[in-house]
Amino acid sequence: MADRSHIVKSYEHELGQLRSMMAQMGGIVENQVALALSAIADRNEEAADAAARQDPEVDQLEREVEGLAIRLLALRSPMAGDLREIVAALKITGDLERIGDYASSIARRSLRIRMPENQISLSGLRSMGRLVQENLRRSIDAITQQDSNRAMEVWHADRAVDEYYTALFRELVTYMMEDARNIRACTELLFIAKNLERIGDHATNIAERVFYAVTGDNLPSLRPRGTPATALTVAETMQEPDVR
Amino acid sequence: MTETDPQVAKSPEVALAVRNLNFYYGENHALHDISIDFPARRVTAMIGPSGCGKSTLLRVFNRMYDLYPGQRATGEVIFDGRNVLERDLDLNILRARVGMVFQKPTPFPMSIYDNIAFGLRLHEKLNKADMDARVQDVLTRVALWNEVRDRLNAPASGLSGGQQQRLCIARSIATRPEVLLLDEPTSALDPISTARIEELLDELKEEFTIAIVTHNMQQAARCADQVAFFYMGRLIEVDSADRMFTNPKQQQTQDYITGRFG
Repeated sequence: MADRSHIVKSYEHELGQLRSMMAQMGGIVENQVALALSAIADRNEEAADAAARQDPEVDQLEREVEGLAIRLLALRSPMAGDLREIVAALKITGDLERIGDYASSIARRSLRIRMPENQISLSGLRSMGRLVQENLRRSIDAITQQDSNRAMEVWHADRAVDEYYTALFRELVTYMMEDARNIRACTELLFIAKNLERIGDHATNIAERVFYAVTGDNLPSLRPRGTPATALTVAETMQEPDVR
Repeated sequence: MTETDPQVAKSPEVALAVRNLNFYYGENHALHDISIDFPARRVTAMIGPSGCGKSTLLRVFNRMYDLYPGQRATGEVIFDGRNVLERDLDLNILRARVGMVFQKPTPFPMSIYDNIAFGLRLHEKLNKADMDARVQDVLTRVALWNEVRDRLNAPASGLSGGQQQRLCIARSIATRPEVLLLDEPTSALDPISTARIEELLDELKEEFTIAIVTHNMQQAARCADQVAFFYMGRLIEVDSADRMFTNPKQQQTQDYITGRFG
């Protein structure tokens, strides 16, 4: 019983295929997010194009993962750990596809921004981007290494992403109140921040699904959360209009 | 080593309580210190590779092994307050209360009607009308009545395999047992007949405690409330079917049900 591979070799082979497709998809999506962040931070238009160009490939992989997972469910009637892994793959592939979409949306938006020179600091957005990127990298490592500890780290780190988003929201609203000419750029940046926050949420979803696939247990249904951005911070920001 | 599902354990009624059961085929120690509860009016499936002892356990419950010299059991199987293994137990009564259905359909070489009536005549004195009613009742319950109502006096051997198996189940429940033992009841049947038997189990469990041995993992997952995994004469794990097939606690169980057993 030391050998943990299936008696049916083709089953083992198909599971291996599923894992490598997930890893490939994770790699592309990670790269898309990196390109999108470079598109904003370095005003890199080539990176923006490259990020958006990878969308069809991610969509295609999503369909292939779904097809293989459904095939495995139908033909192998998987049980226990195999069942959990296959169902998790079926859901994770959807999360990855969404992350890819958000990344290309960020990239496209970055091309539209006409930044009023030197008025708006992007450092908050950059830091948030780095954190989201780090979380995504860890959640993809969790998939490829089937590592529940890694998954747990991501799950805990999402709170920090929420907090960054809240701070950034406040900052951007302040810029808009200072000078109406900032509104256009700041609105785009707000959407970008929101997209980053969503990417963080999907990375957390992935972490939860990996945790279940590996351990058979669910993480608590309530995630550790930061302060909700909208209601609270708008009111706070309104109370102190004279920031200059 | 074994883990009991707290929910199943909480179930108010236990139909069969096995305690420290050991079984020997002559020198061969086939079951090692088995302890497990069979909750009343639930389906418990027993799974495990050939020779793991699951059928042996089934054969203990109605003392089938008594028919063979050299086979003996120690420990306790408590059924309705008595240890089934006691020497002075009336085996005819036990076997009427604990019915059994085998892998291959085993209709008696007689008419469809008499297959049901035969056992009834041994245990009850019924007049013709009552007997007719009982035969119709049990054949209806196994969904066979409409198929055989016009040929009740035809030999049972003329029925299809699936029909014969349903007839055997009808015969077992005719004497109104409390426990029904099924030893791979669908392994010789086609998928449609198998589906009919599984549907039947769903209905029968409202009234009977069912213990089923099966090699078909999906069948265990579909039909059973509780699943017990046996390996080399030992009970490795018992849990709700739900947990057993999504998240078993023991590595051996996981390896077996996922097809990794070397």
